[in-house]
Amino acid sequence: MEAKKAGISLQDACAQAGARIAAMPAKQKIVTCPLCAEQFLSYEELTAHYLAEHPGCVAPVKLRMTVNGRDCSLVVEPHLTLKEVLQLHLGLTGAKQMCDRGQCGSCTVILNGRPTLSCNTLAADCDGKTVETVEGIAVNPKWQPLIDAYCRWDAMQCGYCTPGFLVAAKALLDRNPRPTEQDIKEALSGNICICGTYPRHSQAILEAVTYMVKGGAPNA
Amino acid sequence: MRPFNHLNAASLEEASAALREPGAVAMAGGGDLLGALKDDIAREYPRLVVNLKTIPGLDGIEIRDGKLCLGALCLLGDLSRNETVRAVAPMVADAAAKCASPALRENTTLGGNLCQLPRCWYFRKLLNRFDCARKGGERCFAMTGDNRYHSVFGPAVFEGCDGKKHACIAVNQAELAPGLLALEAEVVTSARTLPIGEFFGVGLMSATVLEPGELVTEVRIPLPPAGTRMAYKRFSFRKSIDFPVVNVAVAILPGNEYRIALGGVAPIPRRAAAAEALLAGKELTPELAAKAGEAAVEGAKPTEANAYKLQLVKTLVKRELLAL
Repeated sequence: MEAKKAGISLQDACAQAGARIAAMPAKQKIVTCPLCAEQFLSYEELTAHYLAEHPGCVAPVKLRMTVNGRDCSLVVEPHLTLKEVLQLHLGLTGAKQMCDRGQCGSCTVILNGRPTLSCNTLAADCDGKTVETVEGIAVNPKWQPLIDAYCRWDAMQCGYCTPGFLVAAKALLDRNPRPTEQDIKEALSGNICICGTYPRHSQAILEAVTYMVKGGAPNA
Repeated sequence: MRPFNHLNAASLEEASAALREPGAVAMAGGGDLLGALKDDIAREYPRLVVNLKTIPGLDGIEIRDGKLCLGALCLLGDLSRNETVRAVAPMVADAAAKCASPALRENTTLGGNLCQLPRCWYFRKLLNRFDCARKGGERCFAMTGDNRYHSVFGPAVFEGCDGKKHACIAVNQAELAPGLLALEAEVVTSARTLPIGEFFGVGLMSATVLEPGELVTEVRIPLPPAGTRMAYKRFSFRKSIDFPVVNVAVAILPGNEYRIALGGVAPIPRRAAAAEALLAGKELTPELAAKAGEAAVEGAKPTEANAYKLQLVKTLVKRELLAL
């Protein structure tokens, strides 16, 4: 209810995140050649196609990841970053591109339990790893108090950096469920917000912590 | 980024063999390399990126034979939180905790931090717009250009690919280097063991003396004697996600043996030998600490734009000595 007052339909946004996760292709039935867009039914056919048609070019590699709790088999080019694979192959646009150099934190995801800059990680390095994005946090009821607190405290203006902040906050709370304001500032120090919403983030997280520790949501 | 081949190395031998081929580069956390590839700073784009993180057994933190042994693939975040490192070498943990940003620290490694290429803005300019001596070119653009962040101890001279001598005034800003230098650590590579003072170097697309295919496997810190006090301090313009302009590590061993190491002031991290000699065996006083700060910049030859670094070094050395 509170969130609606702020002009954001939070339930819609969370439902959208759930739909995005549901729409992730668990296994690519059709593998497309990134160079000539020809389509194949298997990875083996694609590699044979590379040998025949694109000799000397770098063939895509096979990759298995668990993304937001779902297993994904992918065929990606080795020079793609995790952020590009999440956005282009899996349709998860929550991790945002801003600097693309690991300097702003907007693309933060959680890789094997560690906050990670997805623009500064090669997807090919992530074989067999577990990825959690902001969509996965949005659909998990456990983290609803955190998202509610972000809306209530209006810890965003343009909102572009917010997913990165939220993932960094979640990674902090995983490790330290009762952080102090200093812990929060430290954990979010790798995220940049050009609108300058910094003080609101620690307020929102501190409030979310009180509700999460008590085990009740303020809206309930 | 443009396409390259990718290898998840299963062993040190496999990685070394792959890296001996021309056009292969090593990558651990990717904090340094991926930015360089995105900006396409080098003369040649690599054909193969070798992922070292899949090599097992290189991320240990343990005390062995009187030394604190840190695997090359130790993540900086783990180093900064590790109880053993905090107890034995707190300034190394402090340095790891100040490096880059929290998310980068969770994925970048000790070995990568020590081997990172310089941050000189001519060297890092995208699309190799400044084909400088460090990449095989003729000259160092920073010497005549904007060198406010560059060496105050003059250039490093090295042999270029044409066999001639070239100079470079880019500094080494590795966050962990001064602390390890002050603790007289040794670096174990896949081929040899080096004192850390001999590990750093200046070469073509390299900030170490490592040969092609040679990889850092471990860093060993001799356990400091009981009663050793140490501190690490950096000066940077931003608190987070920034490289140190100057970083200083100071250790006082029992018997008033002083060790002072400086980063960000010279092409390779250096011990302030004159300051250490001045202090040796003496009880510290505020006057002596100020004199040590002066001695730490003895022989400096700042450019017209970076004399401010001398003041930073003097003040950081004095403050850290007095704080211990």
